[in-house]
Amino acid sequence: MAQDPSVSRRRFLGLLGAATALPVLSACGSSVGGGGGSPTGGGGTIKVGLVVPQSGVYAALGTDMQRGWDLWLADHGQKFGNYTVETVVADEGETPQTGVPAVQKVLQSDGVDVVVGLVNSATALGVRDVLSESKKLLIVTNAGAEDVTGKARTPYIWRSSFTNGQIAAAMGTHLAQSGFSEGVYAIAPDYAAGTEVITAFTKAFETGGGRVVGQAKTPFGTTSDYQPFLTGIQSSGARATFCFYSGAEAISFVKQYAQFGLSSTIPLYGSGFLTEGNVLPQQGDAAVGVQTTLHYTDQLDNPANNAFVQAYSAKYGESPSCFSVQTWDAANVLDRALTSATGVDGDALAAALGGIGTVDDSPRGPWTFDNQTPRQNIYLRRVDNSGGTLVNAVVEDLGPQSQPAA
Amino acid sequence: MLVSVLNGLAIGSLLFILAVGLSIVFGMMDVLNLAHGALFLGGAYLGAAFAGSWGGFLAALALAAVGGLAAGVLLSLMTEPLRKRSHLDQALLTLGVAFVVAELLIIAFGDDPLSVAAPPALDGSVSLLGATYPTYRLVLIGVGAVLALVVYLVVERTRVGALVRATVADREMVAALGVDNRMVQATVFAVGSLLAATAGVLGGPIYGARPGLDATVLILALVVVVIGGLGSVRGALVGALIIGQVDTLGRLLLPDFASFILFAALALVLVLRPHGLFGSPASAGAR
Repeated sequence: MAQDPSVSRRRFLGLLGAATALPVLSACGSSVGGGGGSPTGGGGTIKVGLVVPQSGVYAALGTDMQRGWDLWLADHGQKFGNYTVETVVADEGETPQTGVPAVQKVLQSDGVDVVVGLVNSATALGVRDVLSESKKLLIVTNAGAEDVTGKARTPYIWRSSFTNGQIAAAMGTHLAQSGFSEGVYAIAPDYAAGTEVITAFTKAFETGGGRVVGQAKTPFGTTSDYQPFLTGIQSSGARATFCFYSGAEAISFVKQYAQFGLSSTIPLYGSGFLTEGNVLPQQGDAAVGVQTTLHYTDQLDNPANNAFVQAYSAKYGESPSCFSVQTWDAANVLDRALTSATGVDGDALAAALGGIGTVDDSPRGPWTFDNQTPRQNIYLRRVDNSGGTLVNAVVEDLGPQSQPAA
Repeated sequence: MLVSVLNGLAIGSLLFILAVGLSIVFGMMDVLNLAHGALFLGGAYLGAAFAGSWGGFLAALALAAVGGLAAGVLLSLMTEPLRKRSHLDQALLTLGVAFVVAELLIIAFGDDPLSVAAPPALDGSVSLLGATYPTYRLVLIGVGAVLALVVYLVVERTRVGALVRATVADREMVAALGVDNRMVQATVFAVGSLLAATAGVLGGPIYGARPGLDATVLILALVVVVIGGLGSVRGALVGALIIGQVDTLGRLLLPDFASFILFAALALVLVLRPHGLFGSPASAGAR
């Protein structure tokens, strides 16, 4: 096991070495793509590399993302501005060991002009130098690490999704104002995203006058019996619990929280991924009443979302997720940028993205780029049983939020 | 506190089902079966694949029982040629088997943790002396108690049990009486493996199924066996109940030192009773 990181690091360095050869190769690529268009921006093609997971834990997210992307293009005649869009799909896999080479591959052998996708934050951080050196634009459609548009910011990486802290901070402020300021217990898995979430939540909650009475970080990926932690929450005297879990951990935590009788006395709050997507039906009735914050729910009532949900359900037979919307919006902002961009290279596109102003037709509601990541409305949602189906109903619009200051 | 004690009992029950086979195989056959955890994990993944309904749960239990029996016989055949050699050789062989099985399970089920639902009627919780406790875990305590009784009666009160105990005490003497050791060994191995795989299915709703779970439960089982004493059913039962409580209460009262407490308990028993609580110096001396 101890050898894995060094092997991958060596492999990664090799990739970076290869990346220095990129500008030459990709210059050839763009002479076929953007260069083919006339100076007025009419009639060219733009080649986009969609790098999303097609295998591994996140494969379901990748499916949602590709559907969002395909739906936008189908509704807009496969065009961004006057450019015809050609999409090359590559498998991100689970980790940077598969994600970084996938980005490398679409840039190098497919010669794409723009890269869209990436679920894993480590992958998004790992491709930073590759993109900077090839001067190509990447729109991250999930990866929520603060550093992607924080410490490790580069003009070539933009984000159409969220930041981990943005979602948690909105909940911190909300809980401080809604009668729980005397005591909240915060619990999350012990890894990078869990730490970001707890930190941002605690900061916002304490700024609002709240007091965190206890905190636990559960071993990531190896905890399945939460009983000792749940007993700890009960004895801490907390009035509410804030948590951050996803996937199988979200299922176990929410179910055990109800089974050990906590949900009736200490209400459970969390980041939206706790009850998003395919974990919700598996949590079943244990999830009813759980409240979460997120930048989207398919229950939003606005004209753009109603049309989006209807089109998406008609085409794919299931409701869209935030992952579908994030990728739908990536196409949306590229379209807006390309109506004014002077070219399809990273510098021209980055400049154009900075000037698109408010994105006013997104299913999630209007949002703008702030520091290359969305400033967007965060919604307080509650799991309700709506005619036999569990949904994340909107309780309150918590208003527009930026990425929290580091 | 009550909830933690109950949880300790539930985990203790599970550990007993898991450890009793390991204890008897080690105590009697002198074979250290490090693939025991892999059998548990195989059961857990069976549970994950079939869980959600009573039919699925019972099917998983049946499959785990049959698969466990077969795997036990196979392991017994594999270790037979090594019986005259050192523990290290057996440990290497069974460890290799454990790695292969774990890798095959990852190939079949992927390496993300899976959550396993309890059968429908047991998926809720019940009120008990003012505390709320999951129904499934209560039932598990009952199942563990029944199994403990059955195993105890079989080993202590039947002819087959007498044979097993005699083999634990003096293998050569039993062979001299005309009993084929290998048959006894294969049977005990098979039943022990059956119990381990079944424990995996039963433990699914608590522990889920994930890579690495095999090593975690193997270590717990080894601690139970060492505390209880080799080859003793009573020892395995008491050891499992102690470790269940120590693990649960330790994680509650001193969360930062939970794993130390587990091994501190082990060290304490080893200092005071080097052969475990119920192990006899004689059976240890035979090694």
